[in-house]
Amino acid sequence: MKLLTHNMLTSHVKGVIKGYPLLIKATEVKVNEVEFNPQFVSRMIPKLEWSALVQAAEELGQRQDLPSDLVPDYETNEEFLKKVHRVLLEVEVVEGCLQCPESGREFPISRGIPNMLLNEDEV
Amino acid sequence: MDASVDSNVKAVRRSKEEKKVLRKQLKASHTLLKHEGINTTSQPTKSLVVANGGLGNGVSREHLSAALKQMGELETLVMPPHKPYAFVTYRLEESAQKAHTLLNGQKMKCGEDSVTLYLSFVNSVTCEEETSVPLPEGLVLVKDFVSQEEEALLLAAIDWSSLYDDATAQKALKHRKVKHYGYEFRYDNNNVDKDKPLPAGLPEECLPFLERCLRNGYIDIMPDQLTVNQYESGQGIPPHVDTHSAFEDTILSLSLGSQTVMEFRHPDGHLVAVVLPERSLLVMKGESRFLWTHGITPRKFDMVPASDPQCPSTTSDPIGHSNLTLSKRGTRTSFTFRKIRHEPCHCAFPSVCDSQGASSAPSPSHPSTPSLPCCHADAARLEEEYVHRVYDAIASHFSSTRHSPWPRVCHFLSSLPPGSVLADVGCGNGKYLGVNPHVVAVGCDRSSALIDICAERGFQVFVSDALSVPLRTASCDACISIAVIHHFSTQERRLAAVRELVRLLKPGGRALIYVWAFEQEYNKQKSKYLKESNKEHPGNYSLTVNTSEDRRETHGKSCPVHTNRTAFNTQDLLVPWHLKDGKKGGGREDLESEPKSSSVPVFHRYYHVFQQGELERLCGQLAGVKVQSSYHDQGNWCVILEKD
Repeated sequence: MKLLTHNMLTSHVKGVIKGYPLLIKATEVKVNEVEFNPQFVSRMIPKLEWSALVQAAEELGQRQDLPSDLVPDYETNEEFLKKVHRVLLEVEVVEGCLQCPESGREFPISRGIPNMLLNEDEV
Repeated sequence: MDASVDSNVKAVRRSKEEKKVLRKQLKASHTLLKHEGINTTSQPTKSLVVANGGLGNGVSREHLSAALKQMGELETLVMPPHKPYAFVTYRLEESAQKAHTLLNGQKMKCGEDSVTLYLSFVNSVTCEEETSVPLPEGLVLVKDFVSQEEEALLLAAIDWSSLYDDATAQKALKHRKVKHYGYEFRYDNNNVDKDKPLPAGLPEECLPFLERCLRNGYIDIMPDQLTVNQYESGQGIPPHVDTHSAFEDTILSLSLGSQTVMEFRHPDGHLVAVVLPERSLLVMKGESRFLWTHGITPRKFDMVPASDPQCPSTTSDPIGHSNLTLSKRGTRTSFTFRKIRHEPCHCAFPSVCDSQGASSAPSPSHPSTPSLPCCHADAARLEEEYVHRVYDAIASHFSSTRHSPWPRVCHFLSSLPPGSVLADVGCGNGKYLGVNPHVVAVGCDRSSALIDICAERGFQVFVSDALSVPLRTASCDACISIAVIHHFSTQERRLAAVRELVRLLKPGGRALIYVWAFEQEYNKQKSKYLKESNKEHPGNYSLTVNTSEDRRETHGKSCPVHTNRTAFNTQDLLVPWHLKDGKKGGGREDLESEPKSSSVPVFHRYYHVFQQGELERLCGQLAGVKVQSSYHDQGNWCVILEKD
């Protein structure tokens, strides 16, 4: 699970109001090499919840010097875009779980795949 | 060629054949382990699993047992219902070894078809315990109630040839022939015209039989209404309760001409299957008459207890789970005698009583639309069995037949602006996730097995249900749901699935939905699904016990089983999947697997196929979204929705 995906995921446990962002508890993380496409990253940024991304990177110990706020004119700031690229597309959670911040319910991640299925009584 | 080369060639050929048989045997072994949890062993034992020698392949106990007995004395032969294998235990290990050597890879003829048997040793044979199932309360079965002479007399008394005979008012019904005497039963209101008795009354030939019933105490008063039903093999009658207000308590049913199996269903879903032998009398009173429904599944073969010295179960007991064999149906004529009720019914079952307020049951003569789950829990259970478990079992084979993305879906995907966020809900094997590399594609599916395949391909995916997608509201520029929503078994759930897709969309975002169409032929163009049917015999797709008209039990309701590559008859049905080795990818896109080989397991997937306009109407029920376009594509109804 890449952090780009994590940024979109939310807890859907019944009754939960603040289910986003999901907390990440990772037991295995890997960093891949992914081809850097500045345009692509630039287009992604407005679609992100920035603080959730930073928090997630922090949880994984992969934040490095990613700023808490978006820098202005990021579209042309290649250095910044590279940092975003790394955290968004290269860092991957292989094993661990995602935790609902409100209910505490854990969703396992196995071989990079989160299992978000709820039980009958949670729907 | 000289002799030595010749014999070498023969030797090579022989060992090639042997290798082929061995390969197939290993494959069968592997399939059995993977899907049925059956462990085979290479060490000889007294027991063998006989792959393809099962009731599920149309192999009868008699046939298999005859072939196996030639190898030695049998201790037990277990044939689990609906399964494509059987277990045999010999008294001596050497007999089992002989069977293994001589029968492995051999064809066995079974009626018109033949199967290839693959035998492997097993360490143990687990037998399902014979659970004794009691008959419904008030039900009595009396065997050999009439003699063969009487049977012939009674059958001869019915004249089916007169179509418009006023005296007996015969009607030709779609599924079985029916004739009424005494009073005519009306199928439009499920009741009897009590003020207009039919002039002829009951045939005199019935009197000796009725007097015998009176003497034996099965009835207290003479019945005054008779319905004669004639069922050809493959015909049946949907489950129903005889209208309370029309008839008194006791109902007599005499079975002539052929054996059948009648199924009794309790409102709580409990099913009891009862074999009705020829010349037997069935007496229905009390609960069995007022509360349980009774019906006959349209079939050409029934599974009945084998009358084997090894199995002590008596055939008058309801059908348990072991020691079964196949019994071919012939033409059965039933004489059902009833007494007209002239006062309202005051039975102890008001919930199913039309005199006491319940709505009358659907007409037993019209093949009613299969009743489907009425609550989410039932629906979820049906989908678990006939969608989720199936996809997890067939995932790799399924994936190998789903490799060509459909052009119009690709067109939709390619038209998305770069950087768009796309959710593929029900992404299957991820076929569409990589079509447009400039979008951020995230996929989810209910099947972990299919999601694993997506992950192997490097896509970002997760496991989830389409009714509750764990993505933020308004987080997607576009969504697609291709061949997904037709797996939901109630209208509410189908609507809920569309609602979820709409929730995910940003304002102005678009969703593309594809569902299987009831109308496979559109604008005189047969869909690819139908076009393939030239290649094999339609309606003759497998050697399983059930025919294409079969109804399969799904939680007390029934769904017909579809014949692959033919037009659809109803909207809610089970579509077979014949499992093959997933490594064999077809050269072209198949909607279904290559049909039929008796050696493969068959899975059934539930579908609700949509009629023209139905998907549009479904989407139209949602606020905040417009149907932007709607079309038919290769046997699917499709819509593009746009969120306001």
